[in-house]
Amino acid sequence: MTRVRAYFLAQLKRTFRLAFPQLAADILICACVGLLSYLLVAQGAFAAGGARYRIGMVGDLSDSYLGFGIAALQEMDDSRFMIELVGMSEAEADEAFEKGELYAVMRVPDGLLESIVSGGNDCLITYTPAEGSKGLGTMVMGEITDIASTLVTSSQSAIYAMQRMLVEEGRQEEVGRETDRLNLSLINLVLSRSGFGEVELLGYADGLSMELYYFCSAVLLFLLLAGLLNCVFFARRKEALWQFLKAGGVGAPWQVAGEYLAYLCLVGMGLLALCLPLSLLLERGIMVVPEWEGMGAAPFWAFVGSLIPVTIMFAAGQFFLFEAADGIVNGILMQLLCGIGMGYLSGYFYPSSFFPERMRVLGDFLPSGAAARFVEAGLFGKAPAAAVMPVFMYTAVFLILAAAVRGRRTGREWLW
Amino acid sequence: MEVEVAGIKKAYPKKTVLREASFSVRAGNCVGILGSNGSGKSTLLSILAGVRKADGGSFYMRDEENPAHSAGVVDLLHCRKALSKALGYVPQGDPLMEELNAWDNLRMWHDRETLKQSLAGGALRMLGIGEFLKTPVRRMSGGMKKRLSIGCAVVSDPAILLLDEPSAALDPVCKENIRAYLAAYKKSGGIILMVTHDAQDLELCDACYILKDGVLQTYDYDGDFHRLAGALL
Repeated sequence: MTRVRAYFLAQLKRTFRLAFPQLAADILICACVGLLSYLLVAQGAFAAGGARYRIGMVGDLSDSYLGFGIAALQEMDDSRFMIELVGMSEAEADEAFEKGELYAVMRVPDGLLESIVSGGNDCLITYTPAEGSKGLGTMVMGEITDIASTLVTSSQSAIYAMQRMLVEEGRQEEVGRETDRLNLSLINLVLSRSGFGEVELLGYADGLSMELYYFCSAVLLFLLLAGLLNCVFFARRKEALWQFLKAGGVGAPWQVAGEYLAYLCLVGMGLLALCLPLSLLLERGIMVVPEWEGMGAAPFWAFVGSLIPVTIMFAAGQFFLFEAADGIVNGILMQLLCGIGMGYLSGYFYPSSFFPERMRVLGDFLPSGAAARFVEAGLFGKAPAAAVMPVFMYTAVFLILAAAVRGRRTGREWLW
Repeated sequence: MEVEVAGIKKAYPKKTVLREASFSVRAGNCVGILGSNGSGKSTLLSILAGVRKADGGSFYMRDEENPAHSAGVVDLLHCRKALSKALGYVPQGDPLMEELNAWDNLRMWHDRETLKQSLAGGALRMLGIGEFLKTPVRRMSGGMKKRLSIGCAVVSDPAILLLDEPSAALDPVCKENIRAYLAAYKKSGGIILMVTHDAQDLELCDACYILKDGVLQTYDYDGDFHRLAGALL
């Protein structure tokens, strides 16, 4: 045991020598990940901030009801956050379309109003998107056009039909009043659409705000890919040292234990380097997570506490991958492939609810999924005893496998 | 004291590298093991060091002065504690941590007091390790690394020293330095088992063996290098 302890202390000393440049790299990577996360979170505000689809409206827009309908869409409907309708001439629309300033052109044909008044349906609004292929964007715009048609055209038809009926019944004096009343009813219908839909975010932990979801994902991804940041720990390792240790009575499991504990310290330091600035940002309100708003950094540090078992597991996984890989370059590639693959399947990039059932089950079964379940349990204040079992089980499996590979490499025997 | 290697066998899936290798060495003697590349010399040494398992055979240490073992005989391959205490092993590559300096590497194996004594008048002084005690391993020359590797193995005065090509890729001055230490170690009653390709190393040896096709044969080295090359073929 004395030699095992001495070996661990030597590895720890080595770790501290490596730590300074390592932490600098950690901070740089964290800043990039933070920026990326911020952009993802800010995406919601991005749509409302002016980056809307600009659609040119060409043709006979002189009718007051059509103009009123367009104004209603622009001012009152939720679609105003996504689309901007701009009236223009055919020549202006063509020019803007060619320059790429328009997402689409909507043409209102001559005689549309007469067609509507007469109850015919032979004149149609045409919608021409800039992109030729039919993708999700054009489908969404098609739907919006349908809504616009329903809102504008149908309501207009209703008004004209009502006016015609009143005239036919000899109630001309009521036309103005009834038209205003119907208009207001239609406007109320449009206004009530503001609360018509609700955006539901699906994630590995349903119920988290988008900010907290991406926050957790980013931190977990950082831990999952920490092997890439800390690959220097696995550089310049020597088989001769392992043989020397074995001859000195320090077998493969003890070698792995000594090295792994030192590596865990390095990963822990990286996590701390990430968490300290995050804590400051949260405390000063520069970064806002709705669930933790006004509570300072205390809930964040509780969250960090729940990351400890996850850190232990991910560090064991990374250690095993570097042990199993033949050389540092292969190790880095394995870390990258496994990290990105597992993170993707377990919903670190997109909510796993987007995936088919089988993929979701696989994502949950993976170590990254076990980590997400554990963190989720912690965030919801559930007893994480059941969630921590897979985490510790994976940790044990990774370390046993790492020791087996080390034993095989050193003496061509498994473990001892 | 005497050590006896008796009937060591080792086979890999596609090759038998050792067929009952046997020899014995008395205290204060050195044995050189020769052989072409891939003949199994390093495998034999790593088996004796406890790094690899043999398919059969024993590695006895007879020490009449040691009352700890019955009849003063112990099979080192089946008693790891005795093996790690009795043996110093210097593998072919250097077993050093590149980020640490010489002192830190030595401290991994020995306590502070032992090291200070050795630096003052023991093995470490003879190997000249005091000259580069604070130098990080990554900045050391090949000779420094080899001396430090031997230093790590011998500070605690093991009874048996296993050396895998101790003079490979070293300059003549460094080779001479290491040989001088090994001669002194031998003179003090230590047993050396050495795998080598260097004919000059054989001058230290009291007995030589050639490992060929898995069989260990006695070889009487008379300084004729051409005869030796012929025997290895």
